[in-house]
Amino acid sequence: MAYHLSVFLENNPGKLERITKILSDNSINLRAMSLASSGEFGVMKLLVDNPEKAFEVLKQNKLTVIKRQITAVVVDNVPGSFNRLLNKLSQNNINIEDCYGFLLSDGKTAAIIMEIDNTPNASQLLSDIGFDVLTAEKIYKY
Amino acid sequence: MFWQKDIELMDKEQLRNTQLDCINKEIKIAKRSEFYKKKLSNIDKISSLDDVKNLPFTTKEDLRNSFPYGFLATDLQNVIRLHSSSGTTGNPTVVFHTAFDISNWANLSARCMYTAGARNNDIFQNTMGYGLFTGGIGFHYGAERLGMLTIPVGPGNSKRQIWFMQNFKTSVIHILPSYALRLFQTVEEMHVDVKRDLNLRIAFIGAEPHSEEMRKKIEELYNIKAFNSYGLSEISGPGVAFECECQSGLHIWEDYVYPEIIDKDTLEVLPDGCEGELVLTTLQREAMPLIRYRTRDLTKIISEPCACGRTHRRIARITARTDDMMIINGVNIFPIQIEKTIMSIPEAGRNYIIEIFENNFMDKLCIKLEIDNENFGGTLRDLEKLQNRLECELKQEIGVTPVIKFVDAGSLPVSDGKAKRVFDLRNKNK
Repeated sequence: MAYHLSVFLENNPGKLERITKILSDNSINLRAMSLASSGEFGVMKLLVDNPEKAFEVLKQNKLTVIKRQITAVVVDNVPGSFNRLLNKLSQNNINIEDCYGFLLSDGKTAAIIMEIDNTPNASQLLSDIGFDVLTAEKIYKY
Repeated sequence: MFWQKDIELMDKEQLRNTQLDCINKEIKIAKRSEFYKKKLSNIDKISSLDDVKNLPFTTKEDLRNSFPYGFLATDLQNVIRLHSSSGTTGNPTVVFHTAFDISNWANLSARCMYTAGARNNDIFQNTMGYGLFTGGIGFHYGAERLGMLTIPVGPGNSKRQIWFMQNFKTSVIHILPSYALRLFQTVEEMHVDVKRDLNLRIAFIGAEPHSEEMRKKIEELYNIKAFNSYGLSEISGPGVAFECECQSGLHIWEDYVYPEIIDKDTLEVLPDGCEGELVLTTLQREAMPLIRYRTRDLTKIISEPCACGRTHRRIARITARTDDMMIINGVNIFPIQIEKTIMSIPEAGRNYIIEIFENNFMDKLCIKLEIDNENFGGTLRDLEKLQNRLECELKQEIGVTPVIKFVDAGSLPVSDGKAKRVFDLRNKNK
């Protein structure tokens, strides 16, 4: 089971930097992230190479942080591939709570990271219908 | 079951007779003081309790104006202690005690704690401040009188508090309600399991007005019973009224004070059951009797019999102090209404402050709430939902739409003593 970290933060100068500084000081590599803001506060999702350690050090530094389970699939870096994934998800009535993607180093494929709340067996389902679902190990180190 | 059975179960008629005798005694003693010599110059005694309403009031202002010795009703050689307010805004209010007063107060505090279920085999940890503040030392004496092993740890240093609780198996704690909530964060950080690692069973919470919701939260977090304690330094300190095991109102010790409720505007005495300002006359004080002291605390007297059998009437949980009232665009609001609402929403967290400021000639009420690991669900959607819920429920409770701001855990100011939650940032010079 893979997860990323969800951190609460006020929308003020220096708040984000505080987080990246803690990661940097602890040699934690940030692989991808997304930010959602509601004006004066927001939520940051962090995908890191060592979520366990990152969770502990952020908590030690009094940040409000929790772990959230993710599902990651690899799609081809060609037009229409993300659409094909979403199409399958909606057919199966799977709702995405949060989602972001990043290009993998080969340049030909991309990882799509999704938080799926309403379908506990989403990973199994996606792999059954032919998607390349990444293991936790691969998500953190790919 | 009872600390002083004959007093606690005293027949109502007898209790009233005792009160009348005591008030007359107190008038006599009081008239030795500079203040009451003038104030009570044409009164020597009253012939029935109905005449109490004709006696003059005493106010906090009177205490301040008579600084330092204007209320002292005995020779200095009989006085063994004073307590005092901080006096940051003018003269402090000073209260004197003879040895008899201190002993009496200790007995009363012991009675309170016994009433709530504390016994001499309990381990008592006192996290209240010692010193001029009466909260710590008052219950310290009471706990010793009761015979508990008393740990005078004082306020602050949360890790040490928990260390004492763990190692000495503290069973009874005396704590500010706001600090009880804050301390729990450290309990969690230290991975202490309240059921497995602690032996707490009773908390005395007081010195700050707090809501029933807050009490429930404290009971839930620590898996204990929390008893509401009422007192004020002008009368002696904690121990003036206390909850019994029924936890339904606080027995006001009618052998120690004579309570009245008045309309805070007309100053007329109100019948039992009506809410108003609590007025107290001391019945046993030697160094400094107070006649009809206006406490500025809002409550009502509950005269229905209590299931515990005690005949001393009860007062309802203090809803506010008259001077706590905030006026927002003409609407009267008490901070406890806001606390009650926040505490009733489980996801809302525990640390908050209230700010009032002015924007475009309109008052704005802003509530800043810390988002911590307890109440953070991890999504923006949950936070926005919480924000809307707080806004709606607070609007319903107080009639004003507040601005809800979420802030980082640990970013709000903390105080060692009573929690300061209200910050009025309006320009008062206008």
